[in-house]
Amino acid sequence: MKKYQLNNKQLPSFIDHLKKQGTVFAPHKKGDTSYSFEKVENPNSVVLDYNRTLNSVKKYFLPPREHLLSFSKTDNSFRKGSFKNEKKIFLGVHSYDMKAVLKLDYNFSQGNPEENYLQRRKDSSFIGVSFIPDEFHFSQSVGIPLHDTEGFDIYLEQNSDGYTVKIITEKGEKLIDGFDRVSKAKDISSNHVQFQNKLKYNYNRLPEVFEQSWNAAVWEEVSKKCVGCGTCNLVCPTCYCFDVEDNLDLSLQTGTRDRSWDGCMLNGFAAVAGGENFRETLAERQRHRVHRKFKYISDITGEPWCVGCGRCTAYCTAGISIVEIVNQLCDEYEQNYLNRPAVVGLNAERL
Amino acid sequence: MSIAISDVKSQELYCPEIAKITAVKRFTEKEKWFDIELPGGRSLGHQPGQFVQVSLFGAGEAPISVTSSPTKKGSFELCIREVGMLTKLLHKLDVGSTVGIRGPYGKGFDVKSFKGKDILIIGGGIGIVPLRSLINYVIDNRKDYGRLIILYGAKNPDELLYPDDLKLWKKSNDIEYHITVDQGTPEWKGNTGVITTLIPGLDLDLPNTITAVVGPPIMYKFVLMSLKTKRIPDENIYLSLERRMKCGVGKCGHCQINHSYVCQDGPVYHYPELKHLQEAI
Repeated sequence: MKKYQLNNKQLPSFIDHLKKQGTVFAPHKKGDTSYSFEKVENPNSVVLDYNRTLNSVKKYFLPPREHLLSFSKTDNSFRKGSFKNEKKIFLGVHSYDMKAVLKLDYNFSQGNPEENYLQRRKDSSFIGVSFIPDEFHFSQSVGIPLHDTEGFDIYLEQNSDGYTVKIITEKGEKLIDGFDRVSKAKDISSNHVQFQNKLKYNYNRLPEVFEQSWNAAVWEEVSKKCVGCGTCNLVCPTCYCFDVEDNLDLSLQTGTRDRSWDGCMLNGFAAVAGGENFRETLAERQRHRVHRKFKYISDITGEPWCVGCGRCTAYCTAGISIVEIVNQLCDEYEQNYLNRPAVVGLNAERL
Repeated sequence: MSIAISDVKSQELYCPEIAKITAVKRFTEKEKWFDIELPGGRSLGHQPGQFVQVSLFGAGEAPISVTSSPTKKGSFELCIREVGMLTKLLHKLDVGSTVGIRGPYGKGFDVKSFKGKDILIIGGGIGIVPLRSLINYVIDNRKDYGRLIILYGAKNPDELLYPDDLKLWKKSNDIEYHITVDQGTPEWKGNTGVITTLIPGLDLDLPNTITAVVGPPIMYKFVLMSLKTKRIPDENIYLSLERRMKCGVGKCGHCQINHSYVCQDGPVYHYPELKHLQEAI
């Protein structure tokens, strides 16, 4: 692996170098404490040292709102939504958000591979950046090490003077090619930080917990706090459920068929026209959400669909923590299924 | 998990075909029947039990079961209950109007594996709509199947659908047809009571009988109990589930039951697959 040194003061010119090759998106400060991925206009406004962005880069592949079709009622004609074909470079992506993109790739490729997502997703390059985990990050527990570079073309690891630039792929090599201010890599003296907030069990033990999780007490308990606002769905980098609705313009003759993000925590999500709601209670909906992250897709793919970014917990309006939910499931599992007197064994001995 | 995106052949999934309504009949106050022709009279190519996404520009899209058999060529049929904005507007359409059609989607009844078997149909309310596709398929391939037994239940005589079909089923020597209504009227001469009251009296060749059940969510629990009492093995039971299939292609998440997307693995399920699925029934 090739390594270079990129000092802090070289960063703007590096971003300019990237901008010559495509549209660059990177974290920007929003308000006092938030960050957001935005298209880079001014390299100096890019912030690479951040805890988390409100939304992940998911929004560029599955936009919060998009036109599936534009139609005219007058002659029943329609045309499908268009995709901008541009080379996209995502700078300053954290390892968990990269993993989330790879998981969405699976969701939109398997079964019926979806053009809308895949067209937007192609021609994307990812430049990762290291970060210092805060109280909400727990990626390590779901199998994503701090410096996981899977999916990245280049990885920037912070050191005392700036960043060690690690070239991961050929695409990454091409991205940096021609940038003349790179120098030999310095020894990395980055902080050996640890993830603070951890799941009680490592991810590879969670399937056994989730085998017994359906009737756990935690769902009812957490539903007493939950207000069903769906924020956890909106900020989750691996949530991809959507709704579709038609919108007419003022002429009432032309309009668009639009899809927008939806959330399984919202009341009407599983309701049908006849009035039946198949997940009527908040407890059922919380159970569904958490099972989507740790069981349903995971049983098929063998990996958690939660990436430990901590967004659902950090932004929850009711102070609900997914780590606490999973840890309580682990506790309930231990109490109800592991620490039981081994009745079967005793009986077996007596026999 | 890492997928080489550039190797994936992506598909356009959300464009409807503009199809023409060629006949309309009103069945009840709430239900209307439509005959629909795809461009060029192309066959829909569905299996009995599958559904299509029906749309009107400006009103949106909804999943509707196909009620005609694939043996019918040139057009297909839908029976639509008026329950919301889209279906209200659909009810206003007449012959010559157009609708958007996507699909067919999901899994239907595995009619090939039913060959040689007796077929027991249990339909409650508009559950008879997707079942009619299967019934007509069996009628059109009559020699491939054994007995055809139809149990049909509705809330009251005014809610019975397919008046012409009902007459035909009643008349046919080839079909054992039993009907009941939850609440009769003074003119009603037939059975009164919920659909499960028709089950105990059936004389069935148990291992050789395939049962197809479709009805409102509440019906399944009781019908399944009756079938168990009747000793019909679970392996011989198929049922179809109603869910909110918004996209029909396994993406939007609305129809999900545990790991299963009803629009992909269903709406018709083999009961043993469904038995252990929480939230399904």
